[in-house]
Amino acid sequence: MTIEHAVRPSDRTAGNGEAEAALRHRRVREAMAEQGLDAILAFGPGWRRENIRYFTDAPLTGSAALVLFPADGDPVAFSTHRSDLAEITRRGWVGEAYLLDPAAPAALTGRLRDLRPGRIGIAHYELLPVVVMEAVRAALPGAEIVSATSLMDGVRLVKSDWELARMRRSAEVCAAGWQAFVDVLEPGLPEYRIVAEVEARIKAMGAEDNFMLIASGKEEVRGMTAPSPRVLEAGDMVRTELTPQLDGYWLQICRSAVVGKASPAQHESFALFNEAVEAGMAAVRPGVTAHDVAKAQNDVFRRRGFGEYCTSRYTRVRGHGHGLHLDETPIIEGNETVLPQNAVFIIHPNTYTPIAGYHVLGDPVRVTADGCEVLISTERKLFETGGAV
Amino acid sequence: MKRGLVILDPDEVPESEWDERLAAVRADLAAEGVDVALVYGDTYSSDDIAYLTNLCIYWNEGMMAIRPQGPPVLLTKLSPRVFPWMRLTSKAEDIRSGRKFGALVSGLLEESGPGIVGLVGAARWPASVVEEVTAALPGWTVRPLGPVIRDRRAVPSSAEEALLRTASSALDVAAGDVARAGISPVERVSTLERLLRGAGFLDVRVATAAASDGTESVQVTGQYRTVWAHAARVVDGPSRPAVTAVLDAAIGAVTAGASVSGLAAAAGPAIKGLPADAHVDVRWIDQADLATFGEYARGDAGLKEGAIGAVVVEVVFADGGFLTAAETVQVTGSGAERLTATASEAVAS
Repeated sequence: MTIEHAVRPSDRTAGNGEAEAALRHRRVREAMAEQGLDAILAFGPGWRRENIRYFTDAPLTGSAALVLFPADGDPVAFSTHRSDLAEITRRGWVGEAYLLDPAAPAALTGRLRDLRPGRIGIAHYELLPVVVMEAVRAALPGAEIVSATSLMDGVRLVKSDWELARMRRSAEVCAAGWQAFVDVLEPGLPEYRIVAEVEARIKAMGAEDNFMLIASGKEEVRGMTAPSPRVLEAGDMVRTELTPQLDGYWLQICRSAVVGKASPAQHESFALFNEAVEAGMAAVRPGVTAHDVAKAQNDVFRRRGFGEYCTSRYTRVRGHGHGLHLDETPIIEGNETVLPQNAVFIIHPNTYTPIAGYHVLGDPVRVTADGCEVLISTERKLFETGGAV
Repeated sequence: MKRGLVILDPDEVPESEWDERLAAVRADLAAEGVDVALVYGDTYSSDDIAYLTNLCIYWNEGMMAIRPQGPPVLLTKLSPRVFPWMRLTSKAEDIRSGRKFGALVSGLLEESGPGIVGLVGAARWPASVVEEVTAALPGWTVRPLGPVIRDRRAVPSSAEEALLRTASSALDVAAGDVARAGISPVERVSTLERLLRGAGFLDVRVATAAASDGTESVQVTGQYRTVWAHAARVVDGPSRPAVTAVLDAAIGAVTAGASVSGLAAAAGPAIKGLPADAHVDVRWIDQADLATFGEYARGDAGLKEGAIGAVVVEVVFADGGFLTAAETVQVTGSGAERLTATASEAVAS
């Protein structure tokens, strides 16, 4: 038998977030109307599935997926992996799902021809493979095809209560992951074994994935990378940004810990970075821009004579948005994106200074009516394996 | 996600082999009449770039330029801050960063006369990047190429084979450890992460599944250095004998020159042991295609002697249930050598 198509089960039980799905549809359609779009085609390669998840709420395993979301009517999903089809429709947010062969996406092009949009936006247009783009263009001669990546980024920026509930569970995984990190630190342990233990702890809690960078050493450390075979030594500061994904939602914690007792320079470094985090938090309120939050952090470094370490030579961003993608709008000077109430992002002034080398510290926050709410419970301090400071 | 160990070890892949790989690819490109080749990769799938340099695109996208002389040049949107780490862990020496690939390519080739630029594996490139690069190279001919580097990777060298055997052995032990009844799905995932990341795997992708009769399966795909292995085990349950029989039959048909459809045909009698309304896929996924689980490389070409890949059985039941069984094998002239254990031997009761 051939199974290349799945439909929403007629006997599925209520409570699968139908109200959330309806809210999303309304938000997306309002944005589509503003831009004159008849349909959105969301593309999700294996590393950028956020818009697929937004429309389906389904964790997928295929290396590519698409959702066709019309201005009116039910969305339709496509995945390269057959087992995804039932997973998608079981959630109930999408009525039908089809197997996608990237080399011959007949199911997709058939639906596009039926829909005949005059103007269609492709979310992650910038990543859509040649083989699929050619098929889309051939199916829609005369249609105007534009990018809808920014449109979807904007729609996803403000989190609903339903999403925030999920992100609070992600926060619990962040805290547990950091605790696992601290628990295993000891001289002689290679960096990659730390990662193995953290991954094991958070996956046991149901985490779907994790983005994690790490660095160990002393004042010579200039940045974080994937783990190396370097073994920990007493006095090392071990830095990480740990970003588990649970139920689709990514959240990050940034911390540094010392193997043994911290040096005066490491304490001094922590104090500087903590002041910057607090300055960033103090700047947050509805309507603040990403630039404002970044500048508040950088100004702390500038006042202390460390302004050059806020440049791209030493660092990247002062934080970034969170949600169904782990690295949403960047918190960086020059980014005038407005952060409304219920936007979620991390404030992390991570950078190198000559005080104690690269330092990592940051908390994810939600914009509240009059400030911000820190989403994780982990104390913001310089951790030591022999006891807290 | 690529969150595990990244290391360049000359004891694993000798210096001379990196030069040989580059020379062989250059010869392929010259035969295609190409002056400069560009290779695109992202953090999910960048094995062609890793094959030539050991570079790990641990985030975002990257592009590699292969010119007639000199080492490959990496063009990246990542910050120069990570260049020292990239040089430490790879053969890349010339690394250039910028916001746009078009500007990076144009800057790289501005001192060369116009010629022919080949885009390796162009069908999978983002269309917008192809347009950007083409627009940035007026006077040049930009030509799509097939997966010429992937084809080089299809039959592993002795160094790669050694890595694949190490990876398969670790994968086999780990998969066997979790394919026991009485373990929850998240415990299976957790244990696989600890064992495989702890063994030095760079990427670990785990999925668990179940059929409505209570039978469960666990699958794991792992990247070790620049190679991939895969195994899937069916945990004890009513459907296990039928699914593993299909896998055993398919593996039994593996031999040099066999077609993928031939594996499915050999498994035909065993497939009859599964419900008639179930969809059963019998697949061969070369290790060179495991990053995307072979979803961009479906075909029915004959299996090459020496190739290493996964024989995969996937069963989608009419009610949406799913089970999978798979082993990594090497194709020989006389059959398949199982690099991960047989499904029947590996599963504890």
